[in-house]
Amino acid sequence: MLRKLLILATLACPAFAAPVVELDAIPGLPAVKVQDLHYGDVLFYFYQHDHFDALVRLAAYHDQGRLTSHARDAELLRGGLYLSLGQHREAREIFERLLSDASTPQPVRDQAWYYLGKILYAAGLYEESDRALRHSAGSLAVDQEAERRLLIAQGLLYRKQYEQAIAELSNWDGPRYWLAYGQFNLGVALVRVGQKERGLALLDSVGQLVTKWPELMALRDKANLAIGYAHLQAGEPAAARLALDRVRLAGPQSSKALLGAGWADATAKQYETALLPWQELQGRNLLDAAVQESYLAVPYAYAELGAMAQAVEYYEKAIAAYDAERSRIGESIGAIQSGHLLDAALKAGSDGREGWFGQLADLPESPESRYLYHLLAGNEFQEGLKNYRALDAMAKNLSAWSDSLGAFTDMVETRKQAFAERLPAADARLATVDVATINGRRDALQAEFEAAVAARDIEALATGDERAQLDTLDAVDAELALHPGDSTYDDAREKARLARGVLLWKLDDAWKVRTWQASRALRELNASVYDARTRETASSRAREGAPERTAALGARVQTLSPRVAALAVRVVDAKAGQGRRLADIAIRELEDQRKRLDEYSVQARYALATIYDRATAGAAPAKPTEPAP
Amino acid sequence: MRSAIISFLAGIVMSMPVLAGDTTEPAAEPAVGRSALDSEVQSLRREVVDLNRDLFMLEEDLLFPASTQVAVFVSMDSSTFFALDSVQLKVDDKEVANYLYTAREQDALKRGGVHRLWLGNLKAGEHEVVAFFTGQGTHERDYKRGTTLKVEKSVGAKYVELKISGKVSKLQPEFVVRVWE
Repeated sequence: MLRKLLILATLACPAFAAPVVELDAIPGLPAVKVQDLHYGDVLFYFYQHDHFDALVRLAAYHDQGRLTSHARDAELLRGGLYLSLGQHREAREIFERLLSDASTPQPVRDQAWYYLGKILYAAGLYEESDRALRHSAGSLAVDQEAERRLLIAQGLLYRKQYEQAIAELSNWDGPRYWLAYGQFNLGVALVRVGQKERGLALLDSVGQLVTKWPELMALRDKANLAIGYAHLQAGEPAAARLALDRVRLAGPQSSKALLGAGWADATAKQYETALLPWQELQGRNLLDAAVQESYLAVPYAYAELGAMAQAVEYYEKAIAAYDAERSRIGESIGAIQSGHLLDAALKAGSDGREGWFGQLADLPESPESRYLYHLLAGNEFQEGLKNYRALDAMAKNLSAWSDSLGAFTDMVETRKQAFAERLPAADARLATVDVATINGRRDALQAEFEAAVAARDIEALATGDERAQLDTLDAVDAELALHPGDSTYDDAREKARLARGVLLWKLDDAWKVRTWQASRALRELNASVYDARTRETASSRAREGAPERTAALGARVQTLSPRVAALAVRVVDAKAGQGRRLADIAIRELEDQRKRLDEYSVQARYALATIYDRATAGAAPAKPTEPAP
Repeated sequence: MRSAIISFLAGIVMSMPVLAGDTTEPAAEPAVGRSALDSEVQSLRREVVDLNRDLFMLEEDLLFPASTQVAVFVSMDSSTFFALDSVQLKVDDKEVANYLYTAREQDALKRGGVHRLWLGNLKAGEHEVVAFFTGQGTHERDYKRGTTLKVEKSVGAKYVELKISGKVSKLQPEFVVRVWE
């Protein structure tokens, strides 16, 4: 019994608690006004919790020089993204590099110290973490500052420096959310150093929190469970019952609370009342250690009440339930050995984002998935499954790239071929265009126009018809000049003079408009010539650089293809290894469960046999003793 | 016997250091004691990220060379009253993108994320970019607004930002187009 309860307690309740980091796995990264569109693109993925894509884009845009306005923010985010992916070494390198750079501004330094402190804390390097976290004080956001203090205190608790931890957590003035965690941890620390009353009072303040936040509700349950068991230990069943009654019936701690509530009643010799929580447990999942325990506790209470018939009935029910569960565990072990457990684990949350843990609870009932959610209670399995899913995602990613690289190779080949085929025709077309001659003609026109404007040569801007008329008048004047002094030509001379006068008057009248039009036409001509020259240059450059560029792209494809192939092989191997490890953990855990059920079953049979023996011997039915460990 | 059990149990409850599964959780075992498989997974993660970076850049250089590259981005002011449902994008009267935003993407936009709606190739010269935004404004009023821009594509890559901002005075969304070089 003792050993069983030890296991139960191991599964039951944490002493220290830390809030699950808010939905952003990297809380408190400073808000920035986006000055590079590509940095905003990274944030678009980051805010969707797609940290892998965010990291890839961040690295690519950084190398492409597209994040110049956000160099420090980008580096801080990169460190944070590595941290969220569990790549602590890379994250640590980045934060240390930021800190060693004297030009890093103080707010970024504060953030870097803070994240470095978290990494060191996660690695169990509490002294180094303490130093880093103490450096980070200054410009942190309120939640970050609260978490910083909590981490310092927890580091002290882990180093068993309770008094310092108490000092650190005293006078806590952080936000309510963090305050509750601070109070919980301080309460636990005080109980540990023997200051039970102070500790329980703090735990009690957490245990009576009024909140709608699911996480704080869970913390409240943990506090009440801790209080309940502390009072049970002190032989104070009434106080224990009071705290345990505050644990939610639907929460993850409820089974342990119901079991404890029953024990509190049983300690007070109120076996009938103890039956209520214990019988409530019997409708629950038998894989829960508290539920398993309740199957023995119920007939024990009936026996204490002298109701031997019910005791027998419930011992038989317990034996049947244990046997059925053992059989189901056997089926599941078989399914796991066939590799089906991991197929089930991959079915949930296939988009690779958060939330897949919860979905595992809703998988259809089958031998391979039945115990999956339960197995996740173990940190080793949980971490292993995260890695397995990450490896699966990597395998899919590499497979997709492998297909793309095949297409890229074809594309490069097609480009080479198309270039070779089109080159002669393109060269022929380019040969027909003489941009230099066009440019020379444009220059001549420009000079002609400028000379006409300078001399106010109105005839220079005459239209074709007007030019013809001027030519005609010139011819008439030349003819008339052959007959000087001949009065018969006087009339013609006068008409020619008048006609020229009218024409020149018209030209003079149109001069202003025509100079403007000519000027505009020249500007348009300039633009067209400029475009033609630009295109000619671009065409020549494209023609000259194209084979080299295509070859360079081809070389990159050829370099990356073997990298993808080699990594794919390693990922497949690692995935297989991780799968085997997970199966081993799962089978080990289920075997332990089966052994425990075996032991419970033996105890139930022993108690049953005792009752039958006493009944057969005609003696008054004896109360079964508490089963031996 | 029972009191001994309870005592032991209470001790366990008070001493088991279990933390929620976040990044601050201390490692179950120190990094130096990590198994070869764990180290291999860490190493693979890093190498896959690096490889994806190189492949991402290769894909862009191959499919959208800088000389012809045009990217259209969608951004949003956090203060805007507009709940964006979709954006339809036409370039030179040809539909090139028609994107429907999920709630998660809408949230990412409101928090400062910028969505690269379209990445494509255009020849040098003038092009017409037309975007139609549909969504809901204040009082759940349906909106469909269009905005047009003439883009002069030169030799380098061209980036166009379609920004949705809130006009506090009129309680109306405003659609602004900005060209980045």
